Amino acid sequence: MIGIVVVSHSRALAEAAVLLASEMTDPDNRPVIKVAAGLDDQTFGTDAAAVSEAIAAADGGDGVLVLLDLGSAVLSAEMALEFLDPEVAQRVRLSSAPLVEGLVGAAVAAGAGADLATAADEAEQGLVAKTQHLGTGTPAGGPRPDGPGEGAGPLSDADGGDGASAPGASGAGSASAQDGSDGESLTAQLVVSAPHGLHARPAARFVREVGAHPQVRVAVRNLDRGGGAVDARSLTGIATLDARQGHRLEVTATGPGAAVLLEELARLAGTGFGDLEPPAGPARTAQRAGAPTVSPARGPARGRAAAQGPAPGDAGSSTGPTFGLDAAVGRVVRADGRVSLDSYHAGDAVHELAALDRAVQQAREELAELVTRTSEQLGADEAAVFDAHLAMLDDPALQDPVRDGIRSGQSAPEAVTTRTAELRQQFEGLSDPYQRERGADVTSVGDRVLHALSGGGEVRREAPGILVVQELDPATAVLLDLRETLGVITVGGGATGHGVLLARARGVPVMTGAAAVRDVGDGTLVAFDARSGRLVVDPDLEVRGEFEALLADRASARRRMLEAANDPAVTLDGTRVLVKANVASVDDAGLAAGCGAEGSGLVRTEALFGDWETAPSVAEQVRAFERIAEELSGAMITIRTWDVGGDKPLPFHPQPVEANPFLGRRGLRAFRDDPSLLVDQLEAVCRVAREQRVRVMFPMVTTVEEVDWALARLDEAAGRLPEERPDALEVGIMIEVPAAALRPESLSALLDFVSIGTNDLTQYTLAAERGSPTVAELADVADPAVLRLIHETVTGVAEGVDVCLCGDAASDPDLALLLVGLGVSELSATAASVPAVKDALRRVTLTDLQDLAARALRADSAADVRELARRVGSSQSAS
Amino acid sequence: MATLQSFTDWIADYAGVVRDQADYLTDLDRAIGDADHGANMARGMGKVALLTEQEEFTAIDAYLKKVGMSLVSNVGGASGPLYGTFFLRMAGAFTGVEEAGVTEVAAGLRAGVEGILARGKAEVGDKTMYDAWAPALEAFDSAVGSGSDLAAALAAAAEAAAKGRDETEGLVARKGRASYLGERSRGHIDPGATSSTMLLESAARTLA
Repeated sequence: MIGIVVVSHSRALAEAAVLLASEMTDPDNRPVIKVAAGLDDQTFGTDAAAVSEAIAAADGGDGVLVLLDLGSAVLSAEMALEFLDPEVAQRVRLSSAPLVEGLVGAAVAAGAGADLATAADEAEQGLVAKTQHLGTGTPAGGPRPDGPGEGAGPLSDADGGDGASAPGASGAGSASAQDGSDGESLTAQLVVSAPHGLHARPAARFVREVGAHPQVRVAVRNLDRGGGAVDARSLTGIATLDARQGHRLEVTATGPGAAVLLEELARLAGTGFGDLEPPAGPARTAQRAGAPTVSPARGPARGRAAAQGPAPGDAGSSTGPTFGLDAAVGRVVRADGRVSLDSYHAGDAVHELAALDRAVQQAREELAELVTRTSEQLGADEAAVFDAHLAMLDDPALQDPVRDGIRSGQSAPEAVTTRTAELRQQFEGLSDPYQRERGADVTSVGDRVLHALSGGGEVRREAPGILVVQELDPATAVLLDLRETLGVITVGGGATGHGVLLARARGVPVMTGAAAVRDVGDGTLVAFDARSGRLVVDPDLEVRGEFEALLADRASARRRMLEAANDPAVTLDGTRVLVKANVASVDDAGLAAGCGAEGSGLVRTEALFGDWETAPSVAEQVRAFERIAEELSGAMITIRTWDVGGDKPLPFHPQPVEANPFLGRRGLRAFRDDPSLLVDQLEAVCRVAREQRVRVMFPMVTTVEEVDWALARLDEAAGRLPEERPDALEVGIMIEVPAAALRPESLSALLDFVSIGTNDLTQYTLAAERGSPTVAELADVADPAVLRLIHETVTGVAEGVDVCLCGDAASDPDLALLLVGLGVSELSATAASVPAVKDALRRVTLTDLQDLAARALRADSAADVRELARRVGSSQSAS
Repeated sequence: MATLQSFTDWIADYAGVVRDQADYLTDLDRAIGDADHGANMARGMGKVALLTEQEEFTAIDAYLKKVGMSLVSNVGGASGPLYGTFFLRMAGAFTGVEEAGVTEVAAGLRAGVEGILARGKAEVGDKTMYDAWAPALEAFDSAVGSGSDLAAALAAAAEAAAKGRDETEGLVARKGRASYLGERSRGHIDPGATSSTMLLESAARTLA
């Protein structure tokens, strides 16, 4: 039979507990229970030597279970194990069970012949039983559905924002009256209302809230996924719950303040753990809509200044030396996590722990700085990534094993590397893609700590170089130091990822999917030309000469273009082509104006308000649209209605999870059930149209019925205005579904214009997801099949309908020429590419371009098309 | 050079300090703990101070081992196993050492602090005695690195410990009884960091 030892500060307490347990055991089969408690009968305290003696006395060879009260009891018992004969010590188990309940459970089990492990389990159950009992019994509980069906009523209104079913205010209030005892344990059920489930940001918020109550232990289970409970202090733990929108979480909190914490968590659950939080909206209005034209931090071309200021490449220019050149020659700067720790000298555990503390602190400061900079430059949404990194940095699931590793002899870098690799694996095993991506975040956090350990200051590049990354995320793209970044090469990743688009918009040459540089080391010379796709590692003198000449040509062409940026684009044979810019913010509009954009062919409203937690009001939208129009000096702006779904979630219009979101309810489709947000937006558009030149267009239209429905919504919105719908308001749709491209006439019969969205049209035509690196090569807008659909559209639209184009293809000067040759009358490109597109158009005749288009339509491959277009484009610019 | 006599002087000095400051330590512990640190330490060190009267010691390590065991059994609170471990581990570093120079003391302190770390599983910033020990150890090592003698190194360690102790005032406790108070533990100096600083200050007075 196993023996039991009770360790307590108080001898009286321990002896009474033993009496209580003895009452419940058979006198003939009672285990030996020894007490090591108090320094004497009166003095509270624990004594490791006494504990070790008690264990030795209780040991009959079958093992000893030690039950403890708190604080020094634990330390003394641990120390006692060191005093014992190792052979005895290895059959001793220290129990984390509550003293009285655990002792009773263990004594009964031991008396019944249980072995050490079983008795230890039995002791732990003592707490579970009480937890469950009080959890169901608290007034906070409310109705607790046993299954999804029964609970559908109160739980299914997650969209309404009232996600928490318990505890209610009164319940929490009465629960907190019992507050203050150590063992109090309460249970509540929360529903995940965050649109994307408990992904990084809401999970971090959850963990932070729990972390603010250090004395409460909190365990969480996902009732809908099953599985065990996880420690709510651990971000990783929360992530492994794989909690999606609508899932029910059972939260068990134990300790003083448990009720308060549960109440707070319930309140947070109601806001989607911050994802649906209301106060963020108005604050952002002030920042976005109220910001001055172009903030200096934002970027490269600096709008008007760039057109008149020093030429790109000049020393002291705020733009990069390769701004807008799409090519670069320079030395590789790897930023894909390779930190050199060759010179790291590991010390003993104390030294390593201190080094870790310093490194973590440095990482913390860097991340805090990043949060600030990113929210200033990009918005709160992007900054949330670094908020999540901060939470991950302080996650016990990361730090505790690292510290344990160090204590057991690893160096700090070894321990960090080991643990981050393990964590990354855990994340990558999850089913939710949002969560899987957190694996990359773990690596990023780990690398930051390793970098700090290696003695590095903040990650900075000494000399201008070509950044090599696995993939380019938006935050990195926006934070690229333009004076130090000659270019970016991504090893994986497609050409239309958001980070790539952002970097290009800032004028940084970006080469994507270049597997050839996967193993190229830091400092290697590399030359690339993103326009032709040519990349040379370690170029010889001759090749370098070629690239230098190319860069010089493009730089002088660029200067020339910038000088003429504000002139219209008229072909040599007199055809005027409007070149507009795609904008996602008021700042973008300022930049676009500076680059000579003649209005905006695409205002991405879902991006403009993408970091709002709640829907902007009509007035807020009016204000933002007006600001954009004003930045563009009153030129026509084309407002695209909310384009949500696919890869563009909108916090205030959450979409159900679909197996294939790109083929699901995105764009206009997402508003068919509840058009209220859409109608509000259309009202804002109508109001702006009274004063400004405005177009409105609907995304993701497939059928005529959808056009009719959209027009009816527009009428509904116009009906809210005192006067009729403004005549000047032009109405159109996006052509981005192949079906729409094939029936442009019936779709456009009642419209003023259509605008071809080449990114989606390409992915749908070639059945190749735009963001996926594995099929990036297939998803080429230059594919003749896509061009034929554009041709169908241009030739098929109803009489008098303008055909515009607002995809990324318009930003590539060669392709822009081809598109004009196909008959597109208006292009909307990234702001930075407007001068080059205009310049290209001025050097050709429309006849040349029509000839190019005819040949391209007959070509066999995208590569052939690009080659044809390149020849027309470059032969003209060389002349 | 620190001899056995230096170590017994150290312990005697510290016992005196703790006795004199018992009320102060208890007051600190009253604010954020269970108001027994001063009494516990005074009781434990009182017993320890009697060791040299009860027994004749001939080696530093044997003496320190006895000090550690005596603390383990007589302090009562968490400080018992923590200080006990400190002295027991320190003793291990002095095996065969009759005169401890700066190198030996460095090794002894390091072993002792590692013991505290292993026992308490605390980290810097948890508002524990480790917040005094960690900077102290670093200061000691860096003083040694720049050629200081034992006296100067101990003085530097004591000074760093005092700074660490003072900084616990702004921290929220994450370990021990004080952690039950959460935010309310802020604004009070940690008693353990205080008694640890006293131990180092005693060392600076007596060991070199």
